[in-house]
Amino acid sequence: MAVKVRIPTPLRSLTNGVDSLDALGTDVQSVLAEVCQRFEGMDKRLFKQPGELNRFVNIYVNNEDIRFMDNLSTPVKDGDDISIVPAIAGG
Amino acid sequence: MALSQTASELEKADPSLARYNRQMLWEPIGIDGQRKLRDSRVLMVGCGALGTVLANTLARAGIGHLTIVDRDFIELNNLQRQVLFDEQDIADQLPKAEAAKRKIAAINSAVHVEAVVADVNHTNIEQLAAGKHLLLDGTDNFETRFLINDTSIKTGIPWIYGACISAMGLGMVIRPGITPCLRCIFETSPPPGMNPTCDTAGVLGPTVNVVASWQAMEAIKLLSGNIAALSPFMFSFDMWDNRYQQLRVAKARELADCPACKHGELEYLSGKFGGSTTTLCGRNAVQISQPSGSRIDFEHVAKNLSAVGKPSFNKFMLKCPIVQGQGDNQKEYEITLFSDGRAIIKGTNDAATAKAIYAKYVGS
Ligand SMILES: [Zn+2]
Repeated sequence: MAVKVRIPTPLRSLTNGVDSLDALGTDVQSVLAEVCQRFEGMDKRLFKQPGELNRFVNIYVNNEDIRFMDNLSTPVKDGDDISIVPAIAGG
Repeated sequence: MALSQTASELEKADPSLARYNRQMLWEPIGIDGQRKLRDSRVLMVGCGALGTVLANTLARAGIGHLTIVDRDFIELNNLQRQVLFDEQDIADQLPKAEAAKRKIAAINSAVHVEAVVADVNHTNIEQLAAGKHLLLDGTDNFETRFLINDTSIKTGIPWIYGACISAMGLGMVIRPGITPCLRCIFETSPPPGMNPTCDTAGVLGPTVNVVASWQAMEAIKLLSGNIAALSPFMFSFDMWDNRYQQLRVAKARELADCPACKHGELEYLSGKFGGSTTTLCGRNAVQISQPSGSRIDFEHVAKNLSAVGKPSFNKFMLKCPIVQGQGDNQKEYEITLFSDGRAIIKGTNDAATAKAIYAKYVGS
């Protein structure tokens, strides 16, 4: 099992420029835990507290917002595409 | 349905619209849609990177009335992407709104442009929005976007969100009561200084053009009465990574527990949320109070700011000198940021200038 997690530009200062990674989790929670474990500081950017995402970041599995599926418990399967979409303000 | 008209028939039908015939040949617009565009009134909040592309495109498309509001002046580093401005505007020290008005007058004299040099805030936005058919987002900060969002909900006027950084962009059409609003998607903004800004992380011209052109296309659909053609998605892309996505956001209208469109708490429009400014008399400085949910991470902010200055910090505050402009137009400022998000901008007595500097370099 592997899902592709896309790291958006505003978070790449934490990943040394890495733009995506393959994760092995079976739900969104475990996949994001893998991302946070690998990149120091990611935890604070994504989570308000354990189990609760910041309200300025959304997670989409294959373009669907996890808030309207099973949130962090949303299951993921081989080949799924997970996008981290932070609020951006430039313009 | 009538047979489609040829270009020359369209010109004869209404000579005053002749210049738009390539646009009217596109049947969903036609002469009726073009007349609707001509009779449209749009408020453009912000006239920087996104705003200049929007103003340029919409003026050429024949949107009848544009009110352009911006608080800033033009700098040399704007010309890489702010398509309505040139070196002469910098030499003339023109405010962005005024320079845009002059350019548009030369591009399409039939468009009525009102230039307003001001900071858009909760005290003036309703008056600026009155009588408009659409509010367009050309801003560079979340506070103003949430203010536009509240105004849209209160007045029923639709708005189009657009934002970009580096090679990445987002866009969404918001029709209050019909689609999700911006706070259905992002309930809060990131704490000040958390996210990089275009002034700390950079932005490429094509990114701006794609976001603003997407916004302009949605504006043309909406104002010409082609409601069914509007995008129900959040458009998201990263052109460097070659990724273009249509995020399915429509469900948020029913399912998000939105403080603004569901519970009617218009916290930005009421002035409850959002920064306030105080001019510090005799100090040539302005204090900006920006409520922050969490303590500012100085190390992180310093890393962002190292692209534009030499920040230093201890556990109480961060300081960073900022130099803007060249030669005779050079101006020096100093940002002092406290851990609760409050900041003092030295080098100006003007609240709008201070807010612009805060939005550009700290991010709000
Ligand atoms: Zn909402």
